[in-house]
Amino acid sequence: MYTVNVTMAVLLAGLYTIGFYLLMQRSLMRVVLGIMVLGHAANLFLQTAGGPPGDPAMVAAGVREGMADPLPQAMALTAVVITFALTTFLLAMAYRSWVLLGHDEVQDDIYDRRIRELPRRDSGPDSFVAPRESAPQESLR
Amino acid sequence: MLLAIAVHLVLAAVLLPLARRLGRWVFVIAALSPAVTLGWVLTRAGPVLSGEAWSESIGWAPRIGLEGALRLDALGLLMTVLVTGIGALVLVYYAYYVKPGEGGVGSTAALLSVFSGAMLGLVVADDVFTLYIFWELTTLCSFLLVGGNGSRAEARRASVQALLVTVLGGLALLLGFVLLADAAGTYRVSEIVANPPSGPSVNVALILLLVGAFTKSAQVPFHPWLPGAMVAPAPVSAYLHAAAMVKAGIYLLARFAPAFGDVPAWWVPAVLIGGWSMIFAGYRALLATDLKELLAYGTVSQLGMLTVLVAVGERTAALAGGAMLLAHGLFKSALFLAAGVLDRQTGSRDIRELSGLGRRMPVLASGCVLAVASMAGLPPLLGFVGKEAAFEAFAPGSVVDVLILAGLVIGSMITVAYGIRFLWGAFGTKRGQPATEVRAPPAGLLLPAMIPALAGAVFGAATPLTAALVEPTARGLPAGGEPYHVALWHGFGLPVVASVLAITGGFAVFRAQPLVRRLGGRLPGALHAQHGYQRVVTGLDDLAHRVTGRVQVGSLPGYLSVILLSVVLVSGAGLASGVPLPDDWRWWDNPLQVPLALFVLVAAGSVISARRRFTAVLLTGVVGYGIGALFVVDGAPDLALAQFLVESLVLVVFVFVLRRFPAHFTHGGPVRALRWRNAAIASGAGAFVAVASVLYSAARRHAPVASREYAARAEPEAGATNVVEAILVDFRALDTVGEIAVLAIAATGAASLILAAQREPRQPEPEVETTSGAEPPAEASAPSASENEVAEEEAAEQEGVSP
Amino acid sequence: MTRQAGPRATEPDASEPDATAWRDWDTPRDSWLRTDDARPGWKRSVLLEVVARVLFPTVLALSLYLLFAGHHDTGGGFTGGLVAGLAFVLRYVAGGPAELSAVVRIRPPVVVGIGLTIAAAVAIAPLAFGTEPLTAAVAEPVVPVLGKLKLATSLLLDIGVYLLVVGVVLDLLRTLGAGIEHQRARDRAEEEG
Repeated sequence: MYTVNVTMAVLLAGLYTIGFYLLMQRSLMRVVLGIMVLGHAANLFLQTAGGPPGDPAMVAAGVREGMADPLPQAMALTAVVITFALTTFLLAMAYRSWVLLGHDEVQDDIYDRRIRELPRRDSGPDSFVAPRESAPQESLR
Repeated sequence: MLLAIAVHLVLAAVLLPLARRLGRWVFVIAALSPAVTLGWVLTRAGPVLSGEAWSESIGWAPRIGLEGALRLDALGLLMTVLVTGIGALVLVYYAYYVKPGEGGVGSTAALLSVFSGAMLGLVVADDVFTLYIFWELTTLCSFLLVGGNGSRAEARRASVQALLVTVLGGLALLLGFVLLADAAGTYRVSEIVANPPSGPSVNVALILLLVGAFTKSAQVPFHPWLPGAMVAPAPVSAYLHAAAMVKAGIYLLARFAPAFGDVPAWWVPAVLIGGWSMIFAGYRALLATDLKELLAYGTVSQLGMLTVLVAVGERTAALAGGAMLLAHGLFKSALFLAAGVLDRQTGSRDIRELSGLGRRMPVLASGCVLAVASMAGLPPLLGFVGKEAAFEAFAPGSVVDVLILAGLVIGSMITVAYGIRFLWGAFGTKRGQPATEVRAPPAGLLLPAMIPALAGAVFGAATPLTAALVEPTARGLPAGGEPYHVALWHGFGLPVVASVLAITGGFAVFRAQPLVRRLGGRLPGALHAQHGYQRVVTGLDDLAHRVTGRVQVGSLPGYLSVILLSVVLVSGAGLASGVPLPDDWRWWDNPLQVPLALFVLVAAGSVISARRRFTAVLLTGVVGYGIGALFVVDGAPDLALAQFLVESLVLVVFVFVLRRFPAHFTHGGPVRALRWRNAAIASGAGAFVAVASVLYSAARRHAPVASREYAARAEPEAGATNVVEAILVDFRALDTVGEIAVLAIAATGAASLILAAQREPRQPEPEVETTSGAEPPAEASAPSASENEVAEEEAAEQEGVSP
Repeated sequence: MTRQAGPRATEPDASEPDATAWRDWDTPRDSWLRTDDARPGWKRSVLLEVVARVLFPTVLALSLYLLFAGHHDTGGGFTGGLVAGLAFVLRYVAGGPAELSAVVRIRPPVVVGIGLTIAAAVAIAPLAFGTEPLTAAVAEPVVPVLGKLKLATSLLLDIGVYLLVVGVVLDLLRTLGAGIEHQRARDRAEEEG
């Protein structure tokens, strides 16, 4: 029926790639930018799924053929607003992280990393010492 | 029956608070429900035994055939009598067994009540899922009862082992049930048995059912959990691990044997494993020095024999199985309870330490002698009746029969041997050992231990009673030759000879124990099954540790990479396997799309290489505006307008927050190798999305109906000619309400994050010499800024006034 | 305070009782730009301040138009609310928190709450009439000057959305704008004092 044209497909690929790449960065600000780019890409995807470009969806003169699909537009509108809400919240979090810690980097989880070095207890069930028992007192940083 | 089960469960809930007031007498109250159930079931016995089963069912999802069905027939009646009778006795015994003031009586009594309710449900379940649920419920109760309050490491270990092994069997059982029900087209057990299906999937299902039965009934190689579970108190062992729970596997086999008894995939493994368990576990019982361990291995051995008898699906064997089921439940529980009495009164249950108790506790000793005699198969006890039937069932007809008979005889010999060992070990006077000190046990302990042994004698002597109970369970099974009747004396025949052989042989084996032990020493170590279990569990732990250590490294980019890779690989594989390729692809739909797309791509690409924060933010805003322009080209004016406005607002918000941050990004970016990895994964994911969009859109055949309907209905129903608006505020208004709620929540959350950052505990402000004084941290409301300015000015004025 | 006091008459004019009032009738009573009080943390631009003051009512009128025109043309509650919000943003950028506080008398969370309440009421009210929630009714009253109007109750939902979006933007200005500014001012005062 309607296939997404090549330009749009390439654009989607590029935006998603850039969005995911930004998402995997260390700086929280870059992560927020990545989420924004991904949001734009997703909204574009949603709208493009509606069909080929057409006339605006106004039925004052009756339903016409060649009218753009209104349903994905409405959904994309909702998505735009919600992405805005999410971005605002994340920015507030980045700000707070800056105020409290002095940086805005996404930290590694030490306890996850320490699973690899869990000491062995004995054989049978519970053969590894639970992480809670093995972790010495550590500061937050 | 449903009422009976419910009463058990409700009573369990009631017992917990009662325990605080009544102490150990909660056990007596708990014994009421099994006792009452026993009475009720016996009143129903007449019609059930003569063939009409009592059915109840609760419709759960009748449209897909799921309902909880209960059905009491002869086999269920036999099991119910055993379960409820022994249950009541054990609970009364428990009331005297606990030391006064011992904690945890409430939870133990409640758990035992739940267990007996679940066991009751298991034996009357007619629906595969109901059966499975009660099966697992008994497993859970066993886990909790063996573990106790979890304070001892060995109790924990034993309960975990029991849990793991029986749950593994339970899962196999479920799978087998599903396969079987699928092949038979019904979930009702009685219907499956009436019209058994066949086929390769049925064979697999039967093997899975066997696995479930073997784990529950502790057959080799799943047996080590039973001796390990002897860390539980004696009454628990008597009830769960002798009379009730381990019988569930045998019950399962007995239930399905009439339908599948002649299928090789069913009876061959059953006979092999049952026979080997019988002999092997009996041998291990000869080595045991702990009374309960001896009895545990004895239980495994007896269950092996029961497996053989019940699984072959032939009438005489089924009669023998029914009789032995009853007999074993009675004598084993009596022996376990007696071992409990000994343990409680002397403080030990080690054979090597006990001596001379036969003279000190004659009543208990005579009861145990009765029980052991039943176990050994001496007339006129129930065990003898059962063994006679067993030997008769396998009277030589074919090579297989001869082999099974031989196995049964050897097993019986070993049974006699370890029975005598138990008696000698518990009550015998050993040379060179002083008599053990013992206090006289209270009647409340002795009676429940004696009653089952006496019952064994009664059932053995009054064979019409036994026959009435047992024979209906074998109704409908094929019988070779003339039908067999359960009786004490059938005349001199092979069975009698076999019994005599077994008994005398048993004596000889007992006498020649050291020889037997040396002979058996060359067998692979008895602990191998236990070692196997440990190795499996340790291996699983190792594997989990290694996989988790490798995959869960704690870094967000790492987790994201894993997620993206999984999405690409799994969905990509699905996509590559049969989605039709598009045949109408174009370069663009509207010429304006090309320059706009190029523009957006360039802007987005520059975001990555931006060094300053503000540049990156602005470029992202440019991307948003470009997308908005694309929306305009697409013919979505509302959406484009919203996109432009939101983008502007986001830029403003970004600028507000950026005031606090330094101008440049502090972190340069990941290491070069990681950079390439991230780029590769991201581009893979991006390409996947693009390909998916093309393929999915190409696969669509018709224009969506919903949009057309919305467009047609916008004017009449919503009074709007802007269809998008009509959808937003009328047709899908709930989404809009939710969306604005999200906005409100996000704004509130952002507010609290920002404002809370101000109220951090700060160092106490040093006393400032200026007149304006220390500024207390104030609410960040707009007027306050100007208020402070005004205050400063006024203070300055005052300063100027007063020199 | 820049209270422009007009030239004061030195002698009381008893013969012309309204001379003062007539002379001073076009003296401004309150300051037109509040930026002298505000001292925002960034450089001031006269052009921006004047334009903001002039455009503000116009933009608000545009937002109201978008709100009511949404049913038949491009527009709607969201776009209307966002435009109104942007008007307030313009005012804030021009003059700082003081400028904004001169216009906004209600606390922003209250506005958010009112909008949400209206939307929830519109959602639940149809239950009182026996229909499903969120059912809309269309009315076609005839108004003397404007002629036949077509109103739908979903317009109320739009109004709720409008109010909520405006409230959210104001709240963001309050916290992310004025709040952060206040923190920076305090930090700077700490460093100096």
